[in-house]
Amino acid sequence: MFEFAKKIINFFYREYKLNLSGFHDILTNITFFFISIFIFIFSIGPDNETLSKLAVGIVWTLLLLSSTLSLRKFYKDDFDSHNLLILHLHGMSFEFIAILKTISHFIYVQIPFLVSIPIACIILNISFDKVYNLLLSFVLGSLILSCLGSISASMNLLNQRNYLLGSVIVMIFSIPVIIFSIGIINLEESFNSLINILIGILLILFSVNPWASGACIKLALQNN
Amino acid sequence: MLILQNVSLNRLNTKIFENISFTLGSGRVLILKGKNGSGKTSLIKTILYLLEPSSGSIYWKGKILPKTIYDFYNNITYIGDRPTSLKQLTIEENIKIWKKISISKIDYEKIRNVLTILKLNNYKNKKVSTLSLGEIKKLELLRLIIENKKYWLLDEPFTNLDLDSIDIIRQTFEEHCKNEGSVLFSSHQDIKFSKYEEIKL
Repeated sequence: MFEFAKKIINFFYREYKLNLSGFHDILTNITFFFISIFIFIFSIGPDNETLSKLAVGIVWTLLLLSSTLSLRKFYKDDFDSHNLLILHLHGMSFEFIAILKTISHFIYVQIPFLVSIPIACIILNISFDKVYNLLLSFVLGSLILSCLGSISASMNLLNQRNYLLGSVIVMIFSIPVIIFSIGIINLEESFNSLINILIGILLILFSVNPWASGACIKLALQNN
Repeated sequence: MLILQNVSLNRLNTKIFENISFTLGSGRVLILKGKNGSGKTSLIKTILYLLEPSSGSIYWKGKILPKTIYDFYNNITYIGDRPTSLKQLTIEENIKIWKKISISKIDYEKIRNVLTILKLNNYKNKKVSTLSLGEIKKLELLRLIIENKKYWLLDEPFTNLDLDSIDIIRQTFEEHCKNEGSVLFSSHQDIKFSKYEEIKL
């Protein structure tokens, strides 16, 4: 048991080293996020009122687009180099690898956005009382996006030809997440019910993700 | 002890191999020989139980394999045909990660000695992406020493290696077998061991 806990810690050490060496990818994602915000501002115009009305929607849409950018690297590199297989041979089931990879994606890819959200709020003139709700909805929403990303990235291992298909799947399934997340920020009277729905979606995906991703990884390794 | 009994594999209505039987016990070297596409990699995948045999059984320590799969994994080191080293990291960082992932207790002094024998010691702070294919392969084979398991499974371990390195690896295999270890590998090259068996596919 102690040895298994050590393996999990060492897995995150490996992910840390990998993400540190690929830090430019995280920076590119965040740069994409901020440049897109500026493009929106230039296209809508500098009117403060219009901007603050659209701001939350803009931030969430861009967060979704930015996080889909990183999906390509979710499993691909470790799959191509057979590291997923090596991890499996070290006593981790494919399902468990999927859980760890999802958590790692949340920590190393989504968390940096948490830091950028308050800055984006200042740029887009979002009132300070909405920032807390935006951050809370993002923590839940980004975990959901990581789960969806894991499923679509593992499916993409089976489909070597059309990478964009995975991103399309994530976008379609993230529509409810966007609806409820923006609802949390704009409709404060139904805050509790909407956050419960988001937690519900998260729990469903968190339980489905390991089986779906694990099965896809195994199939892909068999066919590789 | 690993026993394969009349193992056959069919995929998409195509026969990959059939009726393969052998025993991999302590101190043995087994070489899988066959032409390209004859099913050597598929047989190794079947032994790892990534592919389920269409017929026949695989036994590990007397029990049929899926039941004891994690105990089996705990006793083998698999080196595939692709390098698992992370290209963006240095040799030393890769060794550290492998050591951590496999919870190896081997000391760095021994690893340093092996790196010197493999002529990789001067490059230990270089990124793997700057190494040649042969050097990457030698680094990959270092995993055998780091993980320190009894059973070694290798897919084409001598590809890209020069004659000196091939001889070092051959000696390592012989030494491992003297210490009650076992080696199973697929290869196209004719490598001579003092005692070995060939399985033709």
